[in-house]
Amino acid sequence: MAFVRLRGVSVEFPIYSGGSRSLKKLVLSKTTQGNVASDARDRVIVQALTDIDLEVGHGDRLALVGVNGAGKSTLLKVLAGIFEPTRGRMQAEGRVSALLTAQVGLNPEATGRENIITRGMYLDIHPRAMREHVDEIADFTELGYYIDMPVRTYSAGMIIRLCFAVATAFPPEILLMDEWILAGDSNFLQKARKRMETFVAGSSILVLASHAMPLLEEWCNRAVLLDGGRIVASGTVAEVAARHEAPVQPG
Amino acid sequence: MVLLAQSEIQSAEGSVDAAGDWPPLPSRAWVAWRDLRAGLARYWMWWAMALQDIKLRYRGSTLGPFWLTLSMLILAVGMGVIYSHLFHLDVHTYVPYLTVGLIVWQFISTTTTEACQTFMTPDNVIQQVPIPFSIHAYRVVCRNLIVLGHNLLIVPIGLVVLHIPVRAVIWQIVPAVVVLALDGVWVCLLLGMVAARFRDIAPIVASALQMTFFLTPVIWPAEQLGIYRWMADINPLYAAIDVLRAPLIGVAPAPYSWPLLATFTAVGCGFTFLFFARFRGRIAYWV
Repeated sequence: MAFVRLRGVSVEFPIYSGGSRSLKKLVLSKTTQGNVASDARDRVIVQALTDIDLEVGHGDRLALVGVNGAGKSTLLKVLAGIFEPTRGRMQAEGRVSALLTAQVGLNPEATGRENIITRGMYLDIHPRAMREHVDEIADFTELGYYIDMPVRTYSAGMIIRLCFAVATAFPPEILLMDEWILAGDSNFLQKARKRMETFVAGSSILVLASHAMPLLEEWCNRAVLLDGGRIVASGTVAEVAARHEAPVQPG
Repeated sequence: MVLLAQSEIQSAEGSVDAAGDWPPLPSRAWVAWRDLRAGLARYWMWWAMALQDIKLRYRGSTLGPFWLTLSMLILAVGMGVIYSHLFHLDVHTYVPYLTVGLIVWQFISTTTTEACQTFMTPDNVIQQVPIPFSIHAYRVVCRNLIVLGHNLLIVPIGLVVLHIPVRAVIWQIVPAVVVLALDGVWVCLLLGMVAARFRDIAPIVASALQMTFFLTPVIWPAEQLGIYRWMADINPLYAAIDVLRAPLIGVAPAPYSWPLLATFTAVGCGFTFLFFARFRGRIAYWV
């Protein structure tokens, strides 16, 4: 049974400015008590996530809601196992498929078909397994003859179709998606939703970060509201949406 | 460096209490070991990545990677004739010595230079998909082994043209390539991490390599060092070149080469493993 849970998870980014990227300056600052290069350690620490407690399991379709910079994408990266939490613990079980950006593993000179194989490789799917599903994936994308054209000729929407089709070709147990996926046209979104329902109905998990409230209400059955890296509300999508759109309380 | 960077990492275990049904946290060493093994098991992934790197590099050229073979051949013949005259050496023994020396040196220096980019080149992959970090190191080594293989195609041609007999010692090229690949992996992991954190490492490594080239018997024979012969005997890079070059040109490696290279590899692997175990989790934040 797929699940993800986090307890007390915090993520801090050190932002390395020019000076702290330099080994020479770091060494000098040690040997001269920081007189020569006092800027060597002038790191700014960004507290991206603070004390996140979250459990996602069986059939959950979770919406991550929040303004820009609230920590939605960082949380997705923690769930995907990309960022190791600086504090707290994370445990995940199940095959994760993460659609965080469109660009990963796409070779603009290669055709759509070739990129299906490459993209699948980055999602840990063996090219041999992928090859057997290439036609099926190509059908789902509805790209027609474009599937045999170089990907550099694709529009943004066509790339979204391709990436989504690959990521869901082998039903993942945990599917993580950032908001760019919702930029597809309505015909595609309908199709995508239908496909996801088939496997989310099982024991699979969907986590989707977005601003698009009507879509989230349609796609998700749970939501958490992030603000300044903390979970400030959780509940049904409608409840969280109401809270999100409410005027900010002073203090 | 371990001490310097230690302070910037909060303990991942810090806030976990004993209660609850959370499984015990796997040790860092175990996680690092699992990463190395999982990466190795995905040989198809880094093999495909390495092949793609080579294809992209030579896209549109008729000869493709055989340009490497050709340019190496031209370099070796040109340098061989002139330098054998300069050093007063027999062309028939010097040209093979020089050629194989240059080929192995190129493998070592390119792998080391590219090691600094191990995690920085695929930064978008690291930021987006959770694949074992070791894959990126295997990819760099694999790519350079493919180039090495293309360059070594000159060797059988040279053996025939120069009438060099193939001796039994040739079997040693197998362990030599394995050990060189192993060294490549730890160098990629170690330099890859350090260079991702400290951006001035890459130029430092590049200039250090250039200096090492002049101190290492690559294009001149170690024997010519005379009373400074010990400089070659303590140089692990000479040992690395020697164990592959000597069997290919039909002589036995120098007596210290294998022991020195084995020690160098063991120390490098050990240190890198500890370093990788400690800082593996930070790579995604550094790139």
